[in-house]
Amino acid sequence: MMQHYPVLSIIILFLGAFLNALFGGKSSIVRNIITFLSTGTSFLLILLLIKPIMLEGKVISYWMGNWIPVSDWAIGIGLEVDQLSLFFALLVSFTVFLSGIYSFKYMENDDTLDKYYVLYLMLSGGVMGFVLSGDIFNMFVMIEIFTFAAVALTAFRNYIEGALEAAFKYIVIGSIGSSFILAGTTLLYAQLHTLNMAQIAALMHKNYTPITLFSLGLMFTGYAVKSFIVPCHAAAPDAYMTAPSSISMLFSGMVNKAGVYGMIRLLYMLFQSINLPSMQILIIILGTITMFIGVTMALIQNDFKRLLAFHSISQIGYVITGIGLSTALGITGGLYHALNHTLFKGLLFLCAGAVFYSVGTTDLNKLGGLAKKMPHTALIFLIGAFSISGLPPFNGFVSKWLIYQSAYEEGFVIVTIIALLVSVLTLASFIKVTQSVFFGQLSKECENAKEVPIGMRIPMWIMAFMCFITGILPQYVTKYLITPAVSATLNIGKYIDAMLKDGYAEKYFKETVPVPNINYKLAGYWRPEYYLILFIIILLAFTLTVLAGGIDVNRRSIVSKEIEDYKYDTFYSGEKSEYSQVGGADLFWGLKYDFRKYFNFMHSAHSGVVNDYTLWIISTAAIVIAYIFLLVP
Amino acid sequence: MLILKYLFYIFVFPGFLFCFFAGLILAGIDRKIVARMQKRIGPPILQPFYDFFKLMGKETIIPNSAAKRTFIAAPVAGLISLVTISLFIPIFKFSAFNAVADVIVIIYLLTIPAVSLIIGGSSSGSPYAGVGISREMVSIVSYELPLIIALLAVGKKAGMAVNDGMVTFSLSKIVEYQSLKGPMLFHWSMIPAFLAMLFVIPCEVGSLPFDIAEAEVEICEGPLVEYSGFPLGIYKLNYALKIFIFSSLFVTLFLSGNGTGIILFDAAIQYVLCIIVVILSVSLIRAVTARLRVEQMLKFYWTYPTALSILSLILVWLGL
Amino acid sequence: MLIVLGIYTVVTKKNLIKTVIGLSLIDYGVNLLIVSVGFNAGGSAPIFTFNEIKPDTFFVDPVPQALTLTSIVIGACVTAMTLSLVIKIKDKYGTIDADKVRRLNG
Repeated sequence: MMQHYPVLSIIILFLGAFLNALFGGKSSIVRNIITFLSTGTSFLLILLLIKPIMLEGKVISYWMGNWIPVSDWAIGIGLEVDQLSLFFALLVSFTVFLSGIYSFKYMENDDTLDKYYVLYLMLSGGVMGFVLSGDIFNMFVMIEIFTFAAVALTAFRNYIEGALEAAFKYIVIGSIGSSFILAGTTLLYAQLHTLNMAQIAALMHKNYTPITLFSLGLMFTGYAVKSFIVPCHAAAPDAYMTAPSSISMLFSGMVNKAGVYGMIRLLYMLFQSINLPSMQILIIILGTITMFIGVTMALIQNDFKRLLAFHSISQIGYVITGIGLSTALGITGGLYHALNHTLFKGLLFLCAGAVFYSVGTTDLNKLGGLAKKMPHTALIFLIGAFSISGLPPFNGFVSKWLIYQSAYEEGFVIVTIIALLVSVLTLASFIKVTQSVFFGQLSKECENAKEVPIGMRIPMWIMAFMCFITGILPQYVTKYLITPAVSATLNIGKYIDAMLKDGYAEKYFKETVPVPNINYKLAGYWRPEYYLILFIIILLAFTLTVLAGGIDVNRRSIVSKEIEDYKYDTFYSGEKSEYSQVGGADLFWGLKYDFRKYFNFMHSAHSGVVNDYTLWIISTAAIVIAYIFLLVP
Repeated sequence: MLILKYLFYIFVFPGFLFCFFAGLILAGIDRKIVARMQKRIGPPILQPFYDFFKLMGKETIIPNSAAKRTFIAAPVAGLISLVTISLFIPIFKFSAFNAVADVIVIIYLLTIPAVSLIIGGSSSGSPYAGVGISREMVSIVSYELPLIIALLAVGKKAGMAVNDGMVTFSLSKIVEYQSLKGPMLFHWSMIPAFLAMLFVIPCEVGSLPFDIAEAEVEICEGPLVEYSGFPLGIYKLNYALKIFIFSSLFVTLFLSGNGTGIILFDAAIQYVLCIIVVILSVSLIRAVTARLRVEQMLKFYWTYPTALSILSLILVWLGL
Repeated sequence: MLIVLGIYTVVTKKNLIKTVIGLSLIDYGVNLLIVSVGFNAGGSAPIFTFNEIKPDTFFVDPVPQALTLTSIVIGACVTAMTLSLVIKIKDKYGTIDADKVRRLNG
């Protein structure tokens, strides 16, 4: 019975999509129930799979339509769920579930909601199918499905300025990426006549022919486009900015990770080339550039969601750097950061959506002082901002620490320095956002903002809680979730054996396949027990202090509209409550002035013309292919 | 019994009370020396205590446009993180929670007081605070870079000998290295890093010529403009504690070693070294310079101290 | 060859419709590539009914043809979607020159 769970979780999402298409137009209750049930069941099935796969180490392989391999050759489409796939599937289903709950309330003012839910479920089904499949053509089909649904959802609110344009750019760029993946898949098939990933891994074991190298280059670029690595990142800010916030959360939490998952499978399983230093250097360079450009572009943005989108790009740079290091510690850091990123970036996008729902604009220059009207959202946003900057005790700290340490141990000192610097700049940019959106003076547009309804707050609270938990108890997270995934990444033989049959890998590798051991010394680890004791004691001290300071406090309204009292005029030189909120764009003037050449260059490079962006992608493809041919022997 | 020991560590030594006294006296000494250098008499050394207790008794007025809970919670959060850091800094081979004394944790925990200043300032709702916090943030960005590189250099050097070749980030290992081979300062490759960190101290602590965020004549004290009474007292306490903790960290990194083995004497020697460091880097420069503008500060920090730290890092990597 | 032409079109042409055509060119070029992969010299089309099968019938590899079918369908969907987006853009922006449809920049 357990064998069928992965397929069921994919099929249920698609079934929900179709049911919604048929019955959803009638009433919103039917729609909501179908969506909730399908996402919930899918999530539940994945949760049930944790115990056998993660804890006991079994790998489920499932042949669709029961086309089992004939005479050692795979002829059916296979679904293989090992720990790595399950890890990503967990992320996907969790995000989809919460985003579904959020979008019940969030989208209630839009019309044609039935099509929204259809597309939404298709997006989730596509990503889930991508993550769980074991066959490269199946992966391509799923990629196309979710790209398609994503584009449609980006343009969903076509009254937002620029939504259509963003969708157009996304579809052009996304299609080019998918075409590259398809071309790479075709070339692999031409060489090896099989489409099953396990078999390709076995057959191709370290014999590289020019065609497979070319295919590696093409597929690498294709997956780079999908996961929005610089310089293929150009469609991402536009798309994240104009999509509805529940969809932005899915984009930055799921679609990015799907690209990262594809890259892991490509490099670790199919080509097994991650041990070559040239590949490592390529990936680490790309990851570092992504981090840095993402965060520096984010510092000069004026729009809330576009800023969050650039931060997504930057954090994916962290994940890619962690993965490119190919040591056990590095992959742990990368995967843990992928988990954390889904949690805190989803949280931040949900807060952005809450702000948009209450106020109606996301321009940083126009917002201000929302913390009094929306205290819950402000608190949750602060939790998310501290997590993404990597402050203890939240979860960003743990994963970033792992990445720093692994980068330094491998000898990439510059990477560590840049990563730390990017972390500080992330903090800077989030302080800017916090000040200009939540604190400060209440601007005119925000005067009738209300707190968001409880239906939208529940997913936010759940995610904030998860952020906090994964920060306080990293050892449990590592032991149960991350280390099995890491060992699955490095342990290719088991993947192949489970799919085809035992001993297959040995036969084709012509050598015994070593089982790698995952023990690493951490230079001083975060011992949560001490911190728990400390935390409780400090919490006591804190409450005492706040009580002492907070009881006899007078709220003296210095600036208020009701008091028509001229005795305060001496403090204002005759002008009453003058609105003088520092606009979001003006906050970091000194920083922007110092680096104005660089910022102007980057600003004009992101010109918005779709042809420029495609030119970047094509040149990246050319450079990657040339590099692979020259350096990988 | 263990709980009592931990409570003692947290509240008395080296936790809250010890830092309280040590920090405020250090701040007082700093003010006195600056005054003497400027040919004034200056306030008595215990002046910060008087200030603190006076502020505790004053009335707290919260403006209408402030977010009340954040307004009060921010300084307390800064205080808590400072006390937490003080538990981790080893004082000549004695440290309270030595299993977790890791330099990167400390650097992150050190950004929390600065962030608490920022959050407190921004939650007060005043536009002066808005400008002040952006400058404070720029100063954090500017001093983090040389600080990180210097720490990486120190960690690598200690790690090459003590941690079989890999980098160490643990402060107790750094102290162990220094007890084996003499204080870190006496190695040639560490001198540039020492100088770089000496430059970082005034900015981290918030004194001239880098106090662009705090005691600002242009923007009326910047983030703290709307504070009064009890929270303001906590902020002044944070300022004093930060001077003490950061100079204590500096002493542990560069001037530590074997010590005498008796905790009281060790603490006294550490304290005297802290005073010397503070006089060198904070008071001396504060008495004679003017304030830099924010972009000048950024440009300064990202050229000279960064170059010094990178020089040190290269020397360490080459094995000197 | 088709693929290169398609890429060139997408990169340089400013009229959005031409970009769409270039995109379709890339897709069809890749489809052609797939079909040509599965070619065996002298083979016949891989469709059989039950009374024709003999042990030495020589077929062209059927798998790429399945892949191509799927891919053609996907290409058609993408083209349809893109064209509908272009229509809406024309409604909203009044122009389909890529240099002018660039309100989201920076």
